Amino acid sequence: MTVDQISSVAGRQGAAARAGRAPATGGRRISMTARRHRAFYMFTSPWIVGFLLLTVTPMVYALWLSFTTFDGISPNWRYVGLGNYRELLNDPVTWDALGRTGLFAVTSVPLSIIAGLALAVLVNRPIKARGLFRTLIYLPAVVPPVGAGLAFKLLFDQNSGAANGVLTFFGIDAVGWLADPYARYVLLMTVLWGAGNVMIISLAGLQDVPRELHEAARIDGASAWRTFRSITVPLLSPVLLFQTVTGMIASVQTIMPLLLAPLGDTSGITTVPQSNYLYMMHVFAQYFALGRYGYASALLWVLFVLILVVTGLIFKFTSGAVFYNVDPEAKK
Amino acid sequence: MRSHAGAPPSRRRFLALSAGGAMAGASALSGCAMQVSSGVSGSGETVTVMVNSGDILPEQVQQAKKDLGIKILLVKYDITKLIAMLTNGNPPDLVRGVGAVDAPFFAARDVAEELDSYFARSGVLKLDDLDPVNDLWRYDGRTQGKGPRYGMAKDFSQDSMYWYDTAAFDKGGADYPPETEPVTYEEWLDTAKRLVQRKKGQTTVFGGSYGGLTRSTLLATMTVSAGGSLFNDDFSRVDFTTPEARKALAWYIDYCRTKVGPSLIQPDPNGWDGPTYQAGRLAMSNSGYWMGGMIGTDRKLAAVSRLAPAPVFSGGPRISACQGGTGLWMPRGSKNKDAAWRVFEWFFGEEPAKARASGGWGIPTLKSMRSLMPAKEDYQKRVLKVQENELKHFSVVSFTPYSRADAVDALFNQIAPAAMNGQISVDTLAGRLNSAINEQLKRGKEQVG
Repeated sequence: MTVDQISSVAGRQGAAARAGRAPATGGRRISMTARRHRAFYMFTSPWIVGFLLLTVTPMVYALWLSFTTFDGISPNWRYVGLGNYRELLNDPVTWDALGRTGLFAVTSVPLSIIAGLALAVLVNRPIKARGLFRTLIYLPAVVPPVGAGLAFKLLFDQNSGAANGVLTFFGIDAVGWLADPYARYVLLMTVLWGAGNVMIISLAGLQDVPRELHEAARIDGASAWRTFRSITVPLLSPVLLFQTVTGMIASVQTIMPLLLAPLGDTSGITTVPQSNYLYMMHVFAQYFALGRYGYASALLWVLFVLILVVTGLIFKFTSGAVFYNVDPEAKK
Repeated sequence: MRSHAGAPPSRRRFLALSAGGAMAGASALSGCAMQVSSGVSGSGETVTVMVNSGDILPEQVQQAKKDLGIKILLVKYDITKLIAMLTNGNPPDLVRGVGAVDAPFFAARDVAEELDSYFARSGVLKLDDLDPVNDLWRYDGRTQGKGPRYGMAKDFSQDSMYWYDTAAFDKGGADYPPETEPVTYEEWLDTAKRLVQRKKGQTTVFGGSYGGLTRSTLLATMTVSAGGSLFNDDFSRVDFTTPEARKALAWYIDYCRTKVGPSLIQPDPNGWDGPTYQAGRLAMSNSGYWMGGMIGTDRKLAAVSRLAPAPVFSGGPRISACQGGTGLWMPRGSKNKDAAWRVFEWFFGEEPAKARASGGWGIPTLKSMRSLMPAKEDYQKRVLKVQENELKHFSVVSFTPYSRADAVDALFNQIAPAAMNGQISVDTLAGRLNSAINEQLKRGKEQVG
């Protein structure tokens, strides 16, 4: 083969590659794009199969249930169309639970993000035993929620808990922490208990902030607060957005009130004090205590749609406030 | 467009294939579920039993394999799992249930097997040997206590009775309750108020607990004690506004409001009376004979513990119902009924039944096993005497087939705390309970048909 011939073949191969096809080498012709597609599908198929089997199928099944009076056992359930959704709109318990959940989300999410970020800033400083502090702060986040719930129940028991032990030591009368109106504060404390999760993500974000920006700000005479506000926070904004969205989704689905409830059986779901009777408690009660699978499924679908809407709104209203190092709109 | 070898699958095709894979996976999972209670295996028959841990011990499972040649597969009792298994047509062969409330519920929905023909030919469980408590497992389509048998109680107690700690009574300067004659509910509450000890907002010793087995069975039983009935004739409605039901409700709300014992507004973190009573922090515990199983293991505690008859309302009849009657029932869809029945006989009439009877954790449900109840020590003889006297007043309080007790309890838990905290009156509470519970019963009646 002459040099000209070689350069001609190479030219055709380059053109083919640029066009997204495999070079013609005889036999089966598989383009580069096809290979990439195949690899993509092979790698993602376990997740997609799992998603279809364990997410889409139950969701579709729950949607079907939401149009029925099915209770799990009885033979005479019937199709009621949008009846469950109509009932839901007129159910004051549902609206109260939804309102409480909204209040809980707007309180607990900022609280946990601020606490996590503050802790991350602290353990990002060059202090002694930094690793130990990071571990200790993160440790509660790896405790299973059931264990944490039990620990909180014991700590905040009115008659034998350590919290009231401290109060009575200082001559203050004991309080019924696990009953209204104090139960909501215990619930918020359980949120802070898990702040290590938020801390670890914020810490990773902090370590990604270029040091030279801080140095430049210091040379320009910026105060620590100004540096934090004008450099650290904007660069952390994608992380904060992520935490806001995932925190919001987690908070509306929290089951912590159930773990703090006095009774552990299915009827125990409604022993949750009223101030902690959040939307998911209502869903649990309808499913497992009252056996109203249809109505509970309607509640879940409404929650699903609400989460989608709220997530969309968060993205819409924060789009101008989030700073990406990489242009998210850039063509891949 | 035709696809050809080497071409990438289109997204639509790929998703279709994935959906196919998902369905195949679902079928495979369903197949696995079927194998759980398929009954026969190479080494003999297999019976799936859904119970709580402790109902059947691992060594008893081994023994059953040896004695009966039947392999028992234990599944932890979980109502949601049970419903899932019933729904997909693969129920366990035997299931734990509370006779007082589960028997009419499952029988009315036609998911429980009638066991009369099995009882008729059994050489182990003879009809004339069955204690009347087993009637809780009978249901004739309308009334509990009559008609075919759907299960059997493993042991029982008269759940309105109570234990008391003589040391707490001595300390509080209160007279011991009589052991053969009942006190009134009002007297019981007065005593509890006298014995409760508080310090800086904390209750160091509860005067007494009175919660029944469940709130719904407690209130149904107390209403009968007051001379009425919580349910109407066909069990499709409750009425808390009748004088008798209101009396029972008012007493219970007063008990909770005064905080003499654990309740929804003053929960005991232990979840049950045992540890609190054992720690000397509970003067009276509304638990039946069964708690003697725990008390008997602690000689110091046994020495100060007495069992007392169920309280009565002044002017009302003396009754002492069993609110539980926990045992086993056989789902109609069981795949291995004969082997399941053999396990049923073994569990209720052979070694496990004898072990339970002699353990003191309940009264045996076969009359022939009464002689095995613990009566060696003085305190055991004393307790047994009280219990034997109380059996004369045993009665069955029927429960509605249109709702699980859990559902009625759940509604009560949701509505009643406002009254316990003094925010609403007992009459308002009665009206709200009627409204919420009757709605639930109405839905249940529609579904039973």
